[in-house]
Amino acid sequence: MNAFDNAGSLGAEGENRDELVRTAPHAFRVHTRAYTDAEVFAREQKQIFGKIWVYVGHESEIPAAYDWKTSHIGTQPIIVTRDQEGRLGAFLNRCAHRGASICREAKGNSKSFTCPYHAWTYGIDGKLTGIPYHHEPNGYSEHFQMPEGLYRIPKVESYRGFIFASLNSKVQPLLDQLGTAKLMIDRRVERSPVGELVLRSVPYVARFKGNWKFQSENIVDGYHFIQTHYAFVKLQEKYQDTTGDFGVHKGASISEMRKHRIQGTVYGCPQGHGINFRRAANIDDLVTGEYADYHKELRALRGEEEFGWIIGTNAASIFPNMGMIHQQIRTWRPVSPDVTEVRIYLYDVKGAPDRLNEGWLRSQERFYGPAGHGMADDVEMFAVNQQGLEASAMDWLILDRGIDQEKLLDNGDYEGMLSSETAQRAFWRRYSKLMEQA
Amino acid sequence: MASTLTRAEAEALLYREARLLDTRQLDEWQTLFAEDGVYWIPIDETKPISENASLIYDSPARRDERVYHLLHTVFPAQTPPSRLLHFINNVEVEGRGDSEAVIHSNQIIYETRLGDFSQYGLGELRPIVASMRHEMRLVDGAWKIALKQILLINREMPQGNLTFII
Repeated sequence: MNAFDNAGSLGAEGENRDELVRTAPHAFRVHTRAYTDAEVFAREQKQIFGKIWVYVGHESEIPAAYDWKTSHIGTQPIIVTRDQEGRLGAFLNRCAHRGASICREAKGNSKSFTCPYHAWTYGIDGKLTGIPYHHEPNGYSEHFQMPEGLYRIPKVESYRGFIFASLNSKVQPLLDQLGTAKLMIDRRVERSPVGELVLRSVPYVARFKGNWKFQSENIVDGYHFIQTHYAFVKLQEKYQDTTGDFGVHKGASISEMRKHRIQGTVYGCPQGHGINFRRAANIDDLVTGEYADYHKELRALRGEEEFGWIIGTNAASIFPNMGMIHQQIRTWRPVSPDVTEVRIYLYDVKGAPDRLNEGWLRSQERFYGPAGHGMADDVEMFAVNQQGLEASAMDWLILDRGIDQEKLLDNGDYEGMLSSETAQRAFWRRYSKLMEQA
Repeated sequence: MASTLTRAEAEALLYREARLLDTRQLDEWQTLFAEDGVYWIPIDETKPISENASLIYDSPARRDERVYHLLHTVFPAQTPPSRLLHFINNVEVEGRGDSEAVIHSNQIIYETRLGDFSQYGLGELRPIVASMRHEMRLVDGAWKIALKQILLINREMPQGNLTFII
């Protein structure tokens, strides 16, 4: 057999057909099936999306009593609510009677939900409050076991405005699952002097042909930027700040941008997160420049050291379905093994100058969205990846980059170099652990 | 009045623009705009631009960058490239005195990506459906686009690849 016949197999094929991740000294491989197989997809719904905390929305989307929005936990459609007391809740978007979808709008404000089919009615707290013709002779008998209400998602919690929910009533504490991702959320929230991010109106939405895990991997993939986005790098070199980059992509030449891409540290967390932290290098410019007052206020509030990290260029893939980069919260949901929907929510940093918020907004608009000069290429690559994996006679994908440079820290995180595949390996370690659990 | 834009003139302007876009004569397309002309595809056209992201909000510099991107760089979302065909209907002209006018039109643009049509995303025929508003201004005796606003009927919904000029 030719040594290249099945490159990446790390030796003889094992007997274990379920094996999705294979490791060896200096090597880390993921099986094609992990991205393509319908059985694997169904198992993910049960073992991952059914077992752990999943990001379902942001508090600023439902700020007032009786506000609600629809969302998903994996493939499960849900409604996230704020009740009369301001408490968060979440329910399956399904009538307890015969299963019709209760909410057909993406968001709203109402004291009750009425099923469009037979008009069973529920309060904002999910309690069943009315059944038409309940006590008619042809209605429900005195022995009828009336459901209490909508199926309540057992766990819903917010961390600094980020709402997470779990279908598993015995799920670990949210902060334990977040691990170092808590620090990422903190650093982004603390860009606001009052500690608040406010989502803007309508998100960018792409429904792409590709597995959801491509998005989890890619948002912290420092390796692809100069290659996939080479045209953008050329635009950046030609147009610099005249078209509104607003300092977001750092650097006005290819070599500067490449240098920036390898500065910083990536953390691969045992919870499956991948996090890039780069401390700002230009603190002196920030506290004397156009937005000096804002930056000085932040520095005074957070301290010199942490200020540098807060204002730095950080990015995170927060397992399993959320990302943070620039001025956006990104969330993705699996639709099928080869279809994923991704939403990009831009936000206002409350208390930052309006011009700064608008500058960040225009910068995000230039790169992201279906007509942006960056995101469209990423979405294209997800389809190209999925397409490539149709060639399934070859088994394994190679995720070895930077493996010998990463080191295990006391808190369980791996620390690696930027543009290594440390973040992606962390994702797959957590993934395979969850998938293999009984 | 000689300087009032007639419907026949408006149609001729829209047809010419469509032909330039369909044949990728994008530098020529740029000359249809006034010096400060904006190319805008909003998501929520009722909200202030300063607080809301659009699908595209191109000032002249950004429009120039978009054209340069398409004509002079190679990037995955246009490799292979799109082929476009514009169809224009329901043209109405709203006069605004001697030197300004608004052209309303409904347009269906069909788009397809070339290349190996056995692969995802290539060889599919995709309709893009929009109402358009061209705010025109008379500049040195010629009608120029001050604002081209495109309202996709599905603007708040998931979008496919829109890395070409509509």
